Amino acid sequence: MNGQQSKVLQISGLNVKVKGKHGTLALLQDIDLDLKRGQVLGLVGESGSGKTVTCHSIMQLFDPHQIMVEGSIRLHDRELNGLPEQEMRRIRGKEIALIMQNPISAFTPVYTIGVQFVETIRTHSDLTKKEAHELAVTSLASVNLPEPDKLMKQYPFQLSGGMLQRVMIAISMCLRPSVVIADEPTTALDVVNQLQVLRQLDRLRTECGTSILLISHDLGVISELADEVAIMQQGRIVEKADVFQLFDQPQHAYTKKLLNTRPTIPMNNQ
Amino acid sequence: MLLQVNGVTHTYRETSLFRRRVAKAPVLSNVSLTIEEGKCVGLLGTSGAGKSTLGKVILGLQAPQQGQVLFQGEDLYQASAHTRKRLRRDLQVVFQDCYSSVNPRMTAEQIIGEPLENYERLSVGEQKRRIGDLLEMVGLTPADMRKYPYQFSGGQLQRINIARAIALKPKLIVLDESVSSLDMVNQTLILDLFRELQSAFGLSYLFITHDIKAAYSISDALAVMEKGKMVEMCHDKNGIFTSEHPAVKSLVSSILPEHPRQRVLLSR
Ligand SMILES: Nc1ncnc2c1ncn2[C@@H]1O[C@H](COP(=O)(O)OP(=O)(O)OP(=O)(O)O)[C@@H](O)[C@H]1O
Ligand SMILES: Nc1ncnc2c1ncn2[C@@H]1O[C@H](COP(=O)(O)OP(=O)(O)OP(=O)(O)O)[C@@H](O)[C@H]1O
Ligand SMILES: [Mg+2]
Ligand SMILES: [Mg+2]
Repeated sequence: MNGQQSKVLQISGLNVKVKGKHGTLALLQDIDLDLKRGQVLGLVGESGSGKTVTCHSIMQLFDPHQIMVEGSIRLHDRELNGLPEQEMRRIRGKEIALIMQNPISAFTPVYTIGVQFVETIRTHSDLTKKEAHELAVTSLASVNLPEPDKLMKQYPFQLSGGMLQRVMIAISMCLRPSVVIADEPTTALDVVNQLQVLRQLDRLRTECGTSILLISHDLGVISELADEVAIMQQGRIVEKADVFQLFDQPQHAYTKKLLNTRPTIPMNNQ
Repeated sequence: MLLQVNGVTHTYRETSLFRRRVAKAPVLSNVSLTIEEGKCVGLLGTSGAGKSTLGKVILGLQAPQQGQVLFQGEDLYQASAHTRKRLRRDLQVVFQDCYSSVNPRMTAEQIIGEPLENYERLSVGEQKRRIGDLLEMVGLTPADMRKYPYQFSGGQLQRINIARAIALKPKLIVLDESVSSLDMVNQTLILDLFRELQSAFGLSYLFITHDIKAAYSISDALAVMEKGKMVEMCHDKNGIFTSEHPAVKSLVSSILPEHPRQRVLLSR
């Protein structure tokens, strides 16, 4: 396998603009990123720097009348940018899964968790209803959710923020996609559950070779899982480095600031 | 005492029409908590422990089956409509889910202006200036006033919610995972702002979070919930590190070090 082939996702020259009343405004400028098989790329940056816009561009979720996405987004050998919605729908969830920053908006309020989970599995596989149900229950258990059978019958509003976030993680991981985009996957989780989710993401990448784009402002999460880290500010990538190098020798002023502002607690090594 | 929660017990009723009622474990069982004026209490606990539910009970949004909530000495669930309106001014919240707590059809100006219109009659120019100041306090700019929620990032929208909550200089703010979605630089800015308001106006907080470092840095006291019960109350926040309770120990020992060389989980 040569270097070119091992790249699963390759983003080059990505520019995203929004049309406004007074002309266009750039949301992303000249973003280049790539993900190799089984690699975890951390994406860290200022609030409003364009991390979520990057994810939504990859997933082709923007309305082209409002937001223009220019540049190339290649998944294996396929160009995703501009792909017809119908084909994109087959890729989303199955080949690239998105763990959204805002879990509640990923669910329809009027259907139970079980109905939505089974539906997602069946859209992308040829499992029977019963098999899909079993897969869903196992996946829920793998993210440490208690009584998964009961949970399948509940509605989204009946779950706590952290429970809903874990349901979404379970859904995105269960089809073993080639790429997982995780947009702040553990923000609503306590440290114990956070560790469990990181363990599952790591298993996914080692056992299935899934590549992960991991967005988090939590430096603990980034240092556990990322191989490489890109730092974003105002729509641009200002620094990209191996995770050890980034923590040991940050180059950009913003990176230095990020690494130094964290409150500390009176414990060993903290 | 600013806030007194006494022996609150709550069970969510089953809502489905087609299923038989099953006896469910209470989401809150006999929970008590006090917050003094000008103090910040951090509330920690695993996902599903009942923290957000307790927050809603304190805000007067979820009447508990047992127990009482006294805010400034008045029972929230017994008070007259008139008293409740007065109390509500002093009691603000920033919810965990910032997207569903704003009306998507309102601009940032309207969102932040809403409490000001309800309680303070300012001139148009004065109100605009106040909103602009509030936006700057949370690290945004007055130009953001005209934007709608979908035009903001997650962390920006969360800060709009924070600006709305502090607009009336309330007495107590319930912060439910309100800074968790912010980058470290902005998180520090907001925590500093909270501290400043605390000393300037004697503002108190119930700071619900999973982020033990942030909780430790801003709180005076730390409380821990587990499966609907208050299992630890450290009036001196340092007590969290010496607690013998298994739930607390498990939380403290799962804090991730923030350097790849100290990886706990994945020794690669
Ligand atoms: N639909 C939209 N229309 C106009 N502007 C938008 C739109 N969506 C996002 N933006 C703007 O683009 C910028 C980047 O937003 P994005 O959501 O990608 O930030 P982010 O890095 O994910 O931040 P956070 O950490 O707060 O979630 C922000 O300044 C935001 O205001
Ligand atoms: N509206 C509701 N109807 C039924 N059950 C609910 C409702 N809201 C919450 N619950 C249940 O109550 C329990 C506690 O939920 P709560 O949201 O208070 O937890 P939490 O401590 O805030 O968790 P997290 O850290 O994940 O936000 C959970 O088991 C949840 O499923
Ligand atoms: Mg975002
Ligand atoms: Mg909660």
